[in-house]
Amino acid sequence: LPPQVSVINTVDTSHEDMIHDAQMDYYGTRLATCSSDRSVKIFDVRNGGQILIADLRGHEGPVWQVAWAHPMYGNILASCSYDRKVIVWKEENGTWEKTYEYTGHDSSVNSVCWAPHDYGLILACGSSDGAISLLSYTGDGQWEVKKISNAHTIGCNAVSWAPAVVPGSLIEQPSGQKPNYIKRFASGGCDNLVKIWKEEDGQWKEEQKLEAHSDWVRDVAWAPSIGLPTSTIASCSQDGRVFIWTCDDASGNSWSPKLLHKFNDVVWHVSWSITANILAVSGGDNKVTLWKESVDGLWACISDVNKGQGGVSAITEGQQNEQ
Amino acid sequence: MEELDAEPPLMVVPGADPVARQLCFAWGPAEVLVCETLFGRRGGSPIPVLRPIPGPRSPSPTRSPSRPRALTGCVAGTGEGGPSASRVFVVRKDQDIYIQTLRKLFNESHGIFIGLQRSEEELVGKSRKAQLVQVSKNYRSVIRACMEDMHQAACKFFETWPCCFFQVSILSAMELIWNLCEILFVEAAAAGPLLLRLLDWVRLHVCDVDNMVREVLSSENPSKHKLFWNVVDVFVLQGRMDEARHLLSKEASANPTSVNMYKILDDLMKKMPVPSLGNTQTLTEMELKWQHWHEECQRYLQDGTFASNSHMESICKILLGDEDAILEKKELMTTWYHFLVTRLLYSHPTVKPMELRFYAQSSMDLFLGGESSPEPLDTILMAAFEFEMHQVIKECSIALSNWWFVAHLTDLLDHCKLLQSHNLYFGSNMREFLLLEYASGLFSHHSLWQLGVDYFDHCPEYGRVYLELHIERIPLNTEQKALKVLRICEQRQMHEQVRSICKIMAMKALRNNRLGSALSWSIRAKDAAFATLISDRFLKDYCERGCFSDLDLIDNLGPSMLLSDRLTFLGKYREFHRLYGEKRFSEAAKLLLMLMTAHIAPCSFWMTLLTDALPLLEQKEVVFSAEQTYELMRCLEDLTAGKSDKQKFQVDDVETMKVEMLRLALARNLARVIVKEGTLEGS
Repeated sequence: LPPQVSVINTVDTSHEDMIHDAQMDYYGTRLATCSSDRSVKIFDVRNGGQILIADLRGHEGPVWQVAWAHPMYGNILASCSYDRKVIVWKEENGTWEKTYEYTGHDSSVNSVCWAPHDYGLILACGSSDGAISLLSYTGDGQWEVKKISNAHTIGCNAVSWAPAVVPGSLIEQPSGQKPNYIKRFASGGCDNLVKIWKEEDGQWKEEQKLEAHSDWVRDVAWAPSIGLPTSTIASCSQDGRVFIWTCDDASGNSWSPKLLHKFNDVVWHVSWSITANILAVSGGDNKVTLWKESVDGLWACISDVNKGQGGVSAITEGQQNEQ
Repeated sequence: MEELDAEPPLMVVPGADPVARQLCFAWGPAEVLVCETLFGRRGGSPIPVLRPIPGPRSPSPTRSPSRPRALTGCVAGTGEGGPSASRVFVVRKDQDIYIQTLRKLFNESHGIFIGLQRSEEELVGKSRKAQLVQVSKNYRSVIRACMEDMHQAACKFFETWPCCFFQVSILSAMELIWNLCEILFVEAAAAGPLLLRLLDWVRLHVCDVDNMVREVLSSENPSKHKLFWNVVDVFVLQGRMDEARHLLSKEASANPTSVNMYKILDDLMKKMPVPSLGNTQTLTEMELKWQHWHEECQRYLQDGTFASNSHMESICKILLGDEDAILEKKELMTTWYHFLVTRLLYSHPTVKPMELRFYAQSSMDLFLGGESSPEPLDTILMAAFEFEMHQVIKECSIALSNWWFVAHLTDLLDHCKLLQSHNLYFGSNMREFLLLEYASGLFSHHSLWQLGVDYFDHCPEYGRVYLELHIERIPLNTEQKALKVLRICEQRQMHEQVRSICKIMAMKALRNNRLGSALSWSIRAKDAAFATLISDRFLKDYCERGCFSDLDLIDNLGPSMLLSDRLTFLGKYREFHRLYGEKRFSEAAKLLLMLMTAHIAPCSFWMTLLTDALPLLEQKEVVFSAEQTYELMRCLEDLTAGKSDKQKFQVDDVETMKVEMLRLALARNLARVIVKEGTLEGS
């Protein structure tokens, strides 16, 4: 009997137009949605319920993405829109309000992603104007902006942060002292490239250029860390391909791509599960497929798939390949 | 770059309409989100299309928040009416952890698992094996107990939970498989005892005939019952000789004509040699005896002793291991593995473990006879008979909807040192892999996650990091739960998680205006910045209301006061108030002054401090010394000077009056103290 899937809740968002993104908060207790109807909505979905907590208006165009910040900063949600704006919303005294609005982009902002909470409250935003902006909360309601202009020619479609890894993290830092994090994130753009950015001396520099796609990169997702020295990034593109990029050394110099699969249509979205062992891929062929990565080539052996490409094979969540 | 040919299997979400729309997907901590969308609008298309920014639309009627609705359970079909574009589906993989009646399974097996991990190096050899067999039996008894509960629930609630009966059969299959694995792998029964174990196994698990047996035995005249011979056959097929003989004796007494036949058959059945469990005979001895007995049966059959009674003749043929005769009783055996064991009993009772595979395959082929094909259960059992442990685990992983079974069984086999001996490089990694999967699943449950912690603890490679990633996602609904999670993190020196949790709780408390709680959480998090923030709030509250909240906490800060300057100030300021309350005025005065001169107090608070000094200045007894008074005067001047430059005093009469009062009080005090000190010096 194959593993069944149940819909445990159907949230009727009452959006008046297409939904573009839906995200659970950290604990799975709240749901944020955004739509072409320009609104961002927040629901309480505990115990199978759906209570509308907030209907946030402020954007003047379709809202493409929402992202929840880490709960240690409070209840904070970011949204980005075709109207070129990025808005940060915050729950204060039981009500949700706009706490910051960034209007520094010249074109649609397509993607927002919060940095690991260890770095503070920092938001990366990718825009069709080709720039990536980094908004950092500095305290007392103030935000500092750093902009990477021309990050991708024609436009940037996606941004994704690398997990926080402290160099020499085996030694515990004395309390009160900020460890020396090396901040990195990945971006994907209309120049068919995946780029890796690194902060050096307070400036953001392009560290790597990953070339493999033959058309616009639609999404990138940096996998959570499970303590291995390797880093992994998934990218998907207009060209129907999904690549898994891995870098083995800590210095971040040599990335090698592995083709996960070539789909027959545009692939729009990739995302990793919490422990990074499952990759979800949303394709233009109206399906979501889940891919499991092996540990030490484990799956290749157990499932007798003689395509042992060192660790990637195709199965549904929790199930081996039946072919 | 190599491509994979295999198209991945689909996860179909009931209720969504994949034809019209594409599916947007997001991971939640336990569930996943799926909603219908149309990609392609975000970020434009490769062919540049100029799109004007839409102008402001006319405001749509405000919608009141929808009534809370609780929707649970499966949504079959394509959902109810309403625009499908606005629905978000929260989807969860069906996991057994959500079945109430299985709770016992998870809880009790957890205890057995932990016990097994801890028993590691205590015993060796035979006693170790006995210990492991006991563990295996314990697991099985938990499965059986669950089966009982599930069965009762199924009978009671079969209308609302039709799947209960199905669950019972799953549990039954699990116990069947586990039992076989116990015999073949854990106990590793040798030739001789092997057959006896297999016979027990069959008797325990092939129960379809139990009703029939009960019916016949409880009837008034069993030998007249139409199913009488069926029951005798059942006993013979299962090697239950005594019971068979007992029934036959009833037939004999009712039917005097067949007394002779009966006596012979009874004698044969009595004398049948069986392997012994103890060391009373060697295999060779037994085989010899059995050969003789076999030949004796053969003679009687060929003499036509049983010719006039087809039932007895058929029984004799069975005793001789005649395959056709045994196969005729297919309905009474119901399964090919019953057939296998019966065959072995009557043709090769001293079968060796490694010989099982040949008998197993042929038994299945003969029994199914090309009419039906093997089901998953059959494949699993076959793999076990072939001693393909990894195959068993793989097939079980596919067939069962939960990781519980394979995780615990593999762990046990690993402890039997069986996986390593198979010389595969992922021998012990497989154990960890399955345990990680199982434990991860537990974390999506609101209380079973605690069991998961222990499982992660016993995964040496990735257990810790998996725990770190999962434990962060546990909703900290109550202070109690937060403390529980914290304790777990602290016990394992997961400092990052401890800090993170404390910060989250501090933030929560602050949002709900529980300053005391927020402060103690930020102290625990060693978060200086936050502690400063909250201290400021306390101070602000004090200024507004004239009193402190959460005095207990502030009074007992101890060394944690040093976390942040503001916090130190808060603590010391409160101490000042206490000293004043206890009328220890000179100490209070000293402290107050120190707060300003040592710059512990923020400038913004100096006015308040100076105002607090007023009652001390007005005391009957002089409190401040001359030097101290000079200091205070200097502080006041610093304050007013600074303010008049940059931040003009808000032309506030109250403020100006305060300053005047202070100046006056200070001057008066100075006068008095000069006199006092002058006088003392003199005497």
